[in-house]
Amino acid sequence: MIGGLIGLVGFTVAAGADWRYGIGFSVTEIWDGLTRSNAPMRGLAEIDLGALTGSRARDGFLETLQMAVMSSIAGALIALPLALFNSKLGAPNRAVYAVVKLLNNVIRAIPDLLWALLFVAAVSIGALPGILALFFFSLGVVTKLTSDTIDGIDHGPVEAARASGASHPQMLRFAVLPQILPAYTSFSMYCFELNLRASAVLGFVGAGGIGTVIDFYRGQGQWDRVWGVVAGFLVVVIVVERISAVLRKRLL
Amino acid sequence: MIRFTQASVTYPGGVTALDDISLDIPDGQFVVIVGLSGAGKSTLIRTVNGLVPLAGGTVHVGEREVGGLSRRQLRSLRADAGMIFQHYNLVNRTTVLNNVLMGRLNRVPGWRSMLGWWGRDEVERAMRALEIVEIVDKAYVRAANLSGGQQQRVGIARALAQEPTVLLADEPVASLDPPTSRTVMRYLQKANRDLGITTLVNLHFLDLAREYADRIIGLRAGKLVFDGPGSAVDEGVFEQIYGRSLTADDVLEAEATL
Amino acid sequence: MSGTETQRVADERFRDAVRPEKPFNWFRLTVTVAVVAGFLGASLSVDARWERLPEVPGELWNIFGLMFGDLDLADLPDALDSMWESVGIAWIGTMIAAALSFPLAFLAARNVSGRVSVVVTRQLLNIPRAIPEIIFAVALIPIFGLGPLAGTVAIGLSSTGTIGKLSAEIIEGCDHGPMEAADAAGGSKPQLVRWAVMPQVMPEIIAFWLYRFEVNIRASAVLGVVGAGGIGTMLQQSIEFRQWASAGMALIVVVLVTILIDMASGAIRRRIIRGPRPAAQT
Repeated sequence: MIGGLIGLVGFTVAAGADWRYGIGFSVTEIWDGLTRSNAPMRGLAEIDLGALTGSRARDGFLETLQMAVMSSIAGALIALPLALFNSKLGAPNRAVYAVVKLLNNVIRAIPDLLWALLFVAAVSIGALPGILALFFFSLGVVTKLTSDTIDGIDHGPVEAARASGASHPQMLRFAVLPQILPAYTSFSMYCFELNLRASAVLGFVGAGGIGTVIDFYRGQGQWDRVWGVVAGFLVVVIVVERISAVLRKRLL
Repeated sequence: MIRFTQASVTYPGGVTALDDISLDIPDGQFVVIVGLSGAGKSTLIRTVNGLVPLAGGTVHVGEREVGGLSRRQLRSLRADAGMIFQHYNLVNRTTVLNNVLMGRLNRVPGWRSMLGWWGRDEVERAMRALEIVEIVDKAYVRAANLSGGQQQRVGIARALAQEPTVLLADEPVASLDPPTSRTVMRYLQKANRDLGITTLVNLHFLDLAREYADRIIGLRAGKLVFDGPGSAVDEGVFEQIYGRSLTADDVLEAEATL
Repeated sequence: MSGTETQRVADERFRDAVRPEKPFNWFRLTVTVAVVAGFLGASLSVDARWERLPEVPGELWNIFGLMFGDLDLADLPDALDSMWESVGIAWIGTMIAAALSFPLAFLAARNVSGRVSVVVTRQLLNIPRAIPEIIFAVALIPIFGLGPLAGTVAIGLSSTGTIGKLSAEIIEGCDHGPMEAADAAGGSKPQLVRWAVMPQVMPEIIAFWLYRFEVNIRASAVLGVVGAGGIGTMLQQSIEFRQWASAGMALIVVVLVTILIDMASGAIRRRIIRGPRPAAQT
């Protein structure tokens, strides 16, 4: 326990210190930076909500919503069979289990923006690489969460299905699926929230959505408009989150 | 006819759950298996539908040898043997009818069942099974909303929906109160008498066993220690099975009498 | 009695049988319609130029081939260096967030603080939760300049919301008994929090900090895309300038390090939640 604590403190110092292998963390530098007059903070003081009324912002928001809806639905749909294969109970054999588990770990280890970078490199800029990036991101999230649920289900119905002569797919369909469906739906909605939030940054690498608009105003140095769009985005995210929370409560 | 020939089961770890059991159970008999927990009752019943594989010997159900079947044949055998569980093993989140339809899975084409397209005929058969246990009015209620006794009746209906020739009931009343236990036992008896289904029931309570069984089988530490009609069970037999004399804990009703 | 005869008798008996009516599942219908309509509506209206979709697998295969076809070990020190910077950003950022969120969590917990404090603090925590790290980072770069400091502060600020909200929920879920006991013993509010609440909630809160560290590693790995330090810069530049081999090396390092840290951190988290193992008997 003591050894672990010393290790953690050592790790923190090594990572934070201003040397060859540290990030050079400094509280005074943060304080100086934040108290000095700077463009982003002046922009925040003069926030321009009028930026939301323009057609540029409207199209950006619409595209963000379209991207999030599509990729969440498609990702969640494919994630369901993958989640079954990603659990010991659901996989038809050990080989499938091992392969799917490895694949899923790799998919999940790649952050959303990195997916976007890859797809932008593959098909050039636009909404398509953004949708594909969010699709893979959703696939990883929903598969992981759902397969964790499968590990915790009641095995009674599974035995009952086997005892009644059901095949493996039938057992999954009738003994496992009804048990995980509410949690799976809830995870899919949670994933939609994540995608909505993520779609705000895909634009920074050219993968479409409202991030494109934020990046545009930032490039122009119009921080008042940047914050206006971010504020609008904040409202959209919080509203969607509220609705989703109510629906999820009903499901579980 | 179910025939056990020198059947043995060893679990991983080397525990011998069944030791050299030989038994003949003729069609239509109501057999109750008694014994302490861990005596091998659940194992014995699960060798009939192949949920537990044998380490030695054979079990025949009719012409079929359980250990020598292909996967498909084994599934078809299981479809002919309805099973009832101590904890009912229903899917709580779905309706009673969907639970009972699980008993029809082996009788319909795989692709159709996967889509959940049950024909009118299948639904009607499930409804009839529910009718036998007199709970058809709850068909569209969620299983979670039923009482324990009602859930076990749905469990019986699910087994009956298989239109089985054998019923295997593993401690079907161990989680129920005494009056409900009797109700459930009566439905099992009804299935046995009216439909002629060979019935194997594991029970903990000897008085219930004597009340309903054509024949009682006593197991102790995986060995067959008693096989005879209920009327032949006396204090001596009890000690043989349980290794001690009778107490109030061993009967369903308060009085310790046989 | 023959089989068909039995069937006929059975049919006779059940002909007038009462069958309950199947209730109509409006909820399911609504959900299905919403999902299908949402998907179709979005995919048909979005300006994604779908005709490019068939090229994607081929292009991706092509790129992966270029990336992993001729990996150059000379890229490895660079990749490890930048990944270490990403890990450092995630770690220090998480520590900042832990420090900022810890007092806020108590102010946002209903069983510890008053109504006004709870409502105000919760709203305050909601804002950074909804804004992605990258947005914080691009706003902080003009202030701190390009480099890891902007990324670290961005991670710290944006995690404060999530950690604060979850810690508050953990505090609200704690057992009420010890609080009552401390109250009955005449403890002041701060004493109550220190001795009745904190011992209960600390393991879970620390475990969540660690979990957030895992999440933040993914975030910090991409912060470099906008210039806020870490391996993201290497990834972005090598992809932009089509130096596929070094992009491949960076990707491999990101994936491996992320998975390794997930495993290590996950093991520590389980250990913390379970509590220290009793000393081995000798």
